[in-house]
Amino acid sequence: MNQHFHKKAVKIDIGDGAAIPVKKDAGLFTAWWMTFFGAIAVIVYLCVTQPEPYWRVLKFLPDGVYVTFQVTILSILLSLVLGLVTGLGRLSRNKVVNLIASTYVEIIRGIPLLVQLFYIYYALGRLEFFKDLPPMAAAVAAMGICYGAYMGEVFRAGIDSIDKGQSEASRSLGFNRAQTMMYVILPQAWRTILPPVGNEFIALLKDSSLVSVLAVADLMRRGREFASESFLYFEAYTMVALVYLVITLFLSKGVSKMEQRLNYYERD
Amino acid sequence: MRTRIALALLALFLMAGNALAKDVVFAVDATYPPMEMVDANKNIVGFGPEIVAAIGKAAGFNPVLKNTAWDGIFAGLASGKYDAIASSVSITDERKQTMDFTDPYFEVKQGVVTAKDAAIKTVEDLKGKTIASQMGTTGYFVCKKIEGATAKSYDEIGLAVEDLYNGRLDAVIADDAVASNYALQHEQYSQKLTLAFLIAPEKPEYLGFAVNKGNKEIADLINKGLAAIKANGEYDKIYAKWFGSK
Repeated sequence: MNQHFHKKAVKIDIGDGAAIPVKKDAGLFTAWWMTFFGAIAVIVYLCVTQPEPYWRVLKFLPDGVYVTFQVTILSILLSLVLGLVTGLGRLSRNKVVNLIASTYVEIIRGIPLLVQLFYIYYALGRLEFFKDLPPMAAAVAAMGICYGAYMGEVFRAGIDSIDKGQSEASRSLGFNRAQTMMYVILPQAWRTILPPVGNEFIALLKDSSLVSVLAVADLMRRGREFASESFLYFEAYTMVALVYLVITLFLSKGVSKMEQRLNYYERD
Repeated sequence: MRTRIALALLALFLMAGNALAKDVVFAVDATYPPMEMVDANKNIVGFGPEIVAAIGKAAGFNPVLKNTAWDGIFAGLASGKYDAIASSVSITDERKQTMDFTDPYFEVKQGVVTAKDAAIKTVEDLKGKTIASQMGTTGYFVCKKIEGATAKSYDEIGLAVEDLYNGRLDAVIADDAVASNYALQHEQYSQKLTLAFLIAPEKPEYLGFAVNKGNKEIADLINKGLAAIKANGEYDKIYAKWFGSK
């Protein structure tokens, strides 16, 4: 190739590098904003205008909210551990490990969570070993095991999203497979993994209303107890629904903020 | 409307000789042996359903039992899903504010079921213990009133008894007929559990059939039948069948 017939000074612009996109603020009237503050406004309005029974219902719920969070946080921790093991297992080249991990996911995916709860608490409760399992532990075990399977898929997708070149480079530098996973792949993969984990957390919090069948006094159970004694079904469940809504919306905002912060490979 | 009249006439002709029996739909939570439960053939059986059938025969209506979960059984009555509730409903002042009751058909005390080796003989012994009953039942109200005890509520009384059997609870409180059925008659539970004592309510507690506020028609119909079977000995016969003689 002939090069440079004209020797023209080429002007090179030096900018600030790739810009990290800043999400445009959609203003006040997003669906999220309207629902979140709408729900709070409705709660406040009901409690102020009709303190009997709405305020009485609301006062009955806080320890239930606390238990709901307890179940959710403990379950998500358990599911993260199980999910990491399962995710790595499903990516493993060892046939046996892979088979075990995949079978676990298949089994758990095929059984409704409510049935799993009953099974772990009431069915296994007949066995000597599980007799002293407190309902809270059974609830956390069931939710953790169930969500561990879904979390496994999240981890697998996150690890898969890291370019093959990364592990090739790491192996060329003399890292073994485990070290590669530990020091090269996972530190990058967690960006992809974290947002869906946040979403699983919210889904788990909503599903935790099922643990009320184990006589665990969570938010749903408290609402049901109030309703069954006062016969104020409409009032009790309206309040319970609103409280769940406020909690999950608050959390989902946190997740979307987190997504924005982590996601600076994306371009607008 | 015209077809309806025609149909009614047709029905009258077909049932010539039979009085035209009216359907009365009763809600039953059939998880409360021996009062009401589901047998192996999925039929609703027990003391309550037999009484209802006898009342229907005596008062000339056709009782239809509708299996309904306890949780929401009163809401279903209010929204008109059925005419009455025949599900061991205790007549309480609080309930009377939202519904009407027929005459009582059974007197209950609360039975306390414990493990045989538990040293629980009085209400005082329940201090510091975990006790349970079915959510929204008089048994659970008693649980909550006992000082120093942790009260837990279950969806079904059977689940509470199961947990007691597995040693996760110290006591279960339920209507005496139900409590004694689990603790003394049940093949498996009776080996390990016992009916420790009865809690007599401050004022006598009765079971009645619940109907919607102001639904005098159904209430009167049931009362008529109930009075009839009490008079002709039918009630005592059914009672003896389920609980032995008085």
